[in-house]
Amino acid sequence: MAQRPQKKLFTRKKTCRFCGDKESVINYKDVKTLRNYISERGKIIPRRIIGTCAMHQRQLCEAIKQARQIAFLPYSGPSQG
Amino acid sequence: MRRYETIFIIRPSAGEEEINKVIENTRQIILDEKGSIIELNKWGMKKLAYLIKKESLGYYVFCDFAGTPAAVAEIERKFRIEDLVLKYLTIKTADSIREDEIEQAILAAEQRMTIPSDNQDTDSVNDDSVEPEAEETDEE
Repeated sequence: MAQRPQKKLFTRKKTCRFCGDKESVINYKDVKTLRNYISERGKIIPRRIIGTCAMHQRQLCEAIKQARQIAFLPYSGPSQG
Repeated sequence: MRRYETIFIIRPSAGEEEINKVIENTRQIILDEKGSIIELNKWGMKKLAYLIKKESLGYYVFCDFAGTPAAVAEIERKFRIEDLVLKYLTIKTADSIREDEIEQAILAAEQRMTIPSDNQDTDSVNDDSVEPEAEETDEE
């Protein structure tokens, strides 16, 4: 196995933002927060990239899907309106 | 009694009177089923994230209430018939809620209504306003 130390140097440890901040609760009405967790195309960003823990990613997914149902967030397309 | 949140979107072309009629009908159904309304808030005109029935704008109405599953079924049936309602979403927030909890929730909602401008300013404030009501239902 070839080691790639350079890559390791530059990877920052990802942390779950919701675990760090106990105050924040995931809510489907809180569109501003949810916007941080979807891509420009409107897709939910996977956990391996954004670094949320499993529990919060599940809650996040549900909240995003609920927000999509009531047209707060797009199913696809740009997130800006 | 269960606690529900309903959001519905009314067609932007609807007049003030028509909007009030839809809201009044909803309120009546909840009260008929011996439920109680905790918070009823008109969020007003908002841009939709995608077109619904060829409309890009919608008038949002938010209603937090305690009621029975029958009430929800009836409300949703009415919404489906009503042409003015573009879309609706009902979410159950608590499996059971007692009378005193309802009163507390109503008080909390009124307090939030007095400082509505703060709610929109930052995310953190918005989060805070949502959290206390969730805690109340757990504790009691």
